[in-house]
Amino acid sequence: MEQSTINTTHVKKINRKPIRLLSLSHKIHKWLALLIGAQFIIWSITGAYMVFFDIDYIHGDSLIINHQNKIQPEHLTYSSKALFRQYPQAENLSVGLLIDREVYRFNVNSQKYIVDATNGDLLSPLNKNKALALAKHAYSGRGELISAELITADPPFELSARHLPAWRINFDDFGSPALYISANSGKIVTKRHEFWRLFDWMFRLHVMDYDDGENVSNWLLFIFALLAIFATCSGLVLSYYKAIKPIIRQRKKAIKSSKYIGENNTLSMDDKS
Amino acid sequence: MMQWVKKIHKWVSLLIGLQVFIWVLSGLIFNVIDHNKARGNAYRQAISTKQNIIAEKDLLPVESILAAYPDTIELSQTTLLSKPYYLLTKEQALYQHFANTYQLVNAISGELTIVDKQLATDIAKASYNGPGNITSTTLLTGNIADFTKQKNPSWQVNFSDKLQTSVYVEQGSGRLVGHSNSDKRFANFFFMLHFMDYNHEGSFNNVQIIFFAFVTLWLTLSGLVWAIHLLRLGKYHKKYI
Repeated sequence: MEQSTINTTHVKKINRKPIRLLSLSHKIHKWLALLIGAQFIIWSITGAYMVFFDIDYIHGDSLIINHQNKIQPEHLTYSSKALFRQYPQAENLSVGLLIDREVYRFNVNSQKYIVDATNGDLLSPLNKNKALALAKHAYSGRGELISAELITADPPFELSARHLPAWRINFDDFGSPALYISANSGKIVTKRHEFWRLFDWMFRLHVMDYDDGENVSNWLLFIFALLAIFATCSGLVLSYYKAIKPIIRQRKKAIKSSKYIGENNTLSMDDKS
Repeated sequence: MMQWVKKIHKWVSLLIGLQVFIWVLSGLIFNVIDHNKARGNAYRQAISTKQNIIAEKDLLPVESILAAYPDTIELSQTTLLSKPYYLLTKEQALYQHFANTYQLVNAISGELTIVDKQLATDIAKASYNGPGNITSTTLLTGNIADFTKQKNPSWQVNFSDKLQTSVYVEQGSGRLVGHSNSDKRFANFFFMLHFMDYNHEGSFNNVQIIFFAFVTLWLTLSGLVWAIHLLRLGKYHKKYI
C-alpha cells in the first residue's frame, strides 16, 4: 500500500515537467521553422551538392591528362652554362617539358621565363598558337576548342591574380570547361567547369557569405547557427517524446506481460525439480 | 498526405537528429573560433634563407644530373637548411599533396640524399621558434590526422611545448608540410565531425555523409511542407506565440 503511493507521486513528478518542456519545444520548433527554416533547406541542398559530387571531379582533375613524359637528357643541346651566360640574373632554374620539348624555366627579378633547351629560343610569353597546342595536349575531353583569350588584368573570380598573365582556353563540352595556362611558365594554373562554379555558389550559400564567399566568420551565419542550435535541440526533445518514449513505453508493456509469463514458467520448472 | 509528411519528419529525425545537431554545433564553432590560432602556426617561423653559399650557375650542371638520374619528369631547385638540392620528380601527381615520387640530389656533390630522421628533425627544428624540445620523430605512411589531405609519407616531429606542436616534413622531398598543435586539432576534430570523416581521409565524399545528406533532404523538405501546411491553417498567428 505504502509503496504504491510513493510510485504514483513519482510518476506525477516526471509527467508534469516533460509536458512543459514538450510544449515549449513544440513552440520553439514551430516558430524557428518559420524564421530560419529556409536556411535549413539551403544548408541541406547545398551540403548535399557538395558531398554528392566528388571533390576531385569538382576541381576538374578529370579534365586534364596528367602526362608523365620523361626528360631526354640528350635533348639539352643548349647547355645550362650557355643559359647562365645569356641570363646572368637567372634564378630558380628548372627543367621540364612543354608538350614534347625540353625547356628551361627560370625567374629574372621574379619574372618567369621559358627557354627552349634544344636551341635557346625564348618561348615566353606564350603566343596564342602555343597556348592552344598546350591546351589540346593537356585536355582529356573530346570537345572542340572554342576560344582563347589572354587575360592580363582584372582576372575573373576563378583565377588568382598571381597567375597573370594567363591564357583562358574554352572548350565546347559538357559543363563548359576552361583551362587557364600561365603565359610565362606554360603551366596549367587552374581549370574550371560549371560544376566547380556552381560549387563555389553552394559554398557561399552554405556559409551565408554574400560578400566574397571566403568568410565563415560572419554575423549572419552566427545568428542563424545560434538559432539553429535551438531549433535542433527542440527537435531532439520532440523526437524523444514523440518517437522514442512511445517505443520505450510499448517495450515496457511487452516486458511486463512477458515477465508475467516468464514467472509462471520458472514456477513450473521449480515444480519439476 | 500530411500524415505521411509528419511521419517522415518524425522517423527521419530519429535516424539523423543527432548528426544534424552535430552539424549545427560544429558549424557554429567554425563561425566563432579564432581562425588564426586554428592554423596551428603559433611556433612556426620562415626557415631562414641565407644567401646561397654557392651561385646557381656554379652548381652541378642540370644536364649531368639528368643523365645520372634518368627517367625524370621535372627537375627543380630546392634549398634544405641553406644547402642547394635538385628535386627530381619521378611520378608526378596533379598536386603536391597527392602521391608523388621524388629523388633528392645534392646540387654540389651530386649525391642522392634521403630525408632521414636526422635531416627531417633538423628541418623541423629550423621552422620552429617555440620553447619546446623534440620528444619524438616518427615516419607516418598512412593517413595523417593533422594533415588529412597529405597523401605522401611524412616525418612527424613532436615538440614538448604546451600546445603539443607537431611539425611534418615530407619524406620524398624534404618539403615542410606544416605545423599542427592543439588549437588546430580542436578545429580539426570538429571538421572531422562535420564531414563525418572518421577515417581521416581528408574528404567529405564518404559513404556515410552521402547517406546522411540524402536523408537530411527528406527531413528538411518534409519540414518545409509541414511549415507551409501550418501557415495555410493559420497556425502562425500571433495568438499562438
